[in-house]
Amino acid sequence: MQKAQRLLDLAALLLRAAEPVSWRDIQEQFQEDYGGSEDAAIRKFERDKADLLELGIPVRWLAADEDLPAGYLIDKDDFYLPDLKLPPEDLALLYLSGSAALAGGEFPYARDLAHALEKLSFAARSPGASEAAAMAARSLSSGEGQGRGQVPALLEELSRAIAAQKRVHLTYAGAERTETTARDVDPYGLYQSGGSWFLAGHCHLRGALRTFHLARIQALEVNRAQPRSRDFQVPRDFSLAELATREAWEYAVHAAEKARVRLDGPVSAEDRASFGPRARFLDEAGGVVVELEVTNAEALLRHTLALGERAEVLAPARLRRRARAVLQGLARRRA
Amino acid sequence: MKAEAARKDDPRERLRRVLFLVPYAVRHPGITVRELAERCGTSEAQLLEDLDFLLTVGCPPFAPDDFLDLYVERDRVYVALHQSFTRPPRFTESEAAALAAAVKALAGEGKERVLEALRQAVPRERRKGYDELAKRIYAGSPPARESVMGRLTRAIAERRAVRIVHVTAGRTEEKERVVRPYTLARRFGHWYLFGHDRDRGRELPFRLDRIKDCAVLEETFEPPPPAALARARLFSEARGEPIRLRLSRVAAAWALARPARLRVVESGPKGEVVVEVEGADAEWATRFVLSFGGEAEVLSPPEARRHFDEAVDRALARYLGG
Repeated sequence: MQKAQRLLDLAALLLRAAEPVSWRDIQEQFQEDYGGSEDAAIRKFERDKADLLELGIPVRWLAADEDLPAGYLIDKDDFYLPDLKLPPEDLALLYLSGSAALAGGEFPYARDLAHALEKLSFAARSPGASEAAAMAARSLSSGEGQGRGQVPALLEELSRAIAAQKRVHLTYAGAERTETTARDVDPYGLYQSGGSWFLAGHCHLRGALRTFHLARIQALEVNRAQPRSRDFQVPRDFSLAELATREAWEYAVHAAEKARVRLDGPVSAEDRASFGPRARFLDEAGGVVVELEVTNAEALLRHTLALGERAEVLAPARLRRRARAVLQGLARRRA
Repeated sequence: MKAEAARKDDPRERLRRVLFLVPYAVRHPGITVRELAERCGTSEAQLLEDLDFLLTVGCPPFAPDDFLDLYVERDRVYVALHQSFTRPPRFTESEAAALAAAVKALAGEGKERVLEALRQAVPRERRKGYDELAKRIYAGSPPARESVMGRLTRAIAERRAVRIVHVTAGRTEEKERVVRPYTLARRFGHWYLFGHDRDRGRELPFRLDRIKDCAVLEETFEPPPPAALARARLFSEARGEPIRLRLSRVAAAWALARPARLRVVESGPKGEVVVEVEGADAEWATRFVLSFGGEAEVLSPPEARRHFDEAVDRALARYLGG
């Protein structure tokens, strides 16, 4: 029997059973599949059970008690997707967030996300209205312009590796693409910054935590050995959110120094947010002064320049001189 | 690609589809093959294959009555004897974790409630795995409440019209428009609003960085019909001459890794490149180029170059004498 068919038959049997189904009964019903040596049959059944669990079908073993024999069962209450009992605006938010991520064409677990959006119509009391956003996302993400190169495929492979905690082997191009390196990496997580996706993990080549721009991963191979056992543990003190919210000027390039940037008003919420959660804002006549601690001043300069003439580096003086030199260089090129 | 081939052969993928397909067909008797395929995010051919597969599925001991009774009549799908698959299974850890990451990146109010509901929708024994996995994806911080995106998120959730001040690509004039916001999408590094423009009487995309202001109105609206959504495309309106940029080797390495729509049209001997970008405006090009700190410049068309030069001059004026 084909695996997909066997898994579904197994789920149907257990869902329909009024009481736990013994291993012997299962073997009898699936003689072709769970025949042979007892050890091999049990291992095969355990693999099927794990696959069902991964599909959201909670098969479990129940020891015998006074009323029931020992066996396997699917608790119906724990199987069917429940009504999420969310107010309509929260449900719309779920659809909106999920569909916006899907429409972007690059998101970890994108296939799972699509399945989740489909299932949502069952998890809502009045789903019709909120489904619109999901349908729109599907239209937006179909056809021309879908994804960029291999990033969606890399996200998918890495998502699986992260979930299974399997080591990956990367061929990685340096920032300036002049050389490539081969690295074994324990993938800890994926984060998005500035519209691009990054992998964070322990790099065995460098012996330290490193981040990798997905667009610069030229080849990726997941360790296929012992697929059901973990290759590594994520350290307890690792925080993906902390890493992901680090602004470019917070990368450790030099000793920390104070920096100040002036923005002319009115300053939008987006511009304020672009300086990250650790920036302090001092309102003053006609604008705002942003105070920051920087360890990579060059990155702050670039961010400030990109804001155009509305923004100006005030301090440190060295960075202000550098801003002037960059702009003078650009002005000179005109000639 | 390897992943694509693996996906096709993955029996679990088919199972995930049919575990949605059966309950959906039960709930919508007589649904057309086309609509059901659309709902399942698959092709009609694939759906028909799935339906064939389902005919072989039964419940041991496999008496005739134990098989799933499903048939297609005049292009409509019926499930007469649906056994136990009346609702789809709960969320898997990765389904819930992906949704949670998306919610955390976009949601403001109600986020905690939504995340807890997602967690409860994972089977009890898998919740620990979900908690762990949810920490492994970070898709961005939620927008500030009063930002354009923050307001749009609220308006879409509450299905309320918005009044936006918008600058169309290639123009400088700001226009006020009343839009029924349907959804948001991020493409190539830009966020877009897709919705119905009242004045122009049709569905259109609006790039968020060209929306200068946004007010949520009292007016509410009904969800759009699927036909309106089917017309949704984000990049159908690229017009005007493409903008050309010159990037040094260092800037090229960074720029080409960013999610912008850059096409390399010339490569120099030292790794410098000239790229074209379609559908961009002069303001975007100037900001983009300046973010490379002197390692890039706008070349053409002349008005985009002029915009860049003027921006450089005005920014430089701030630093002279100070």
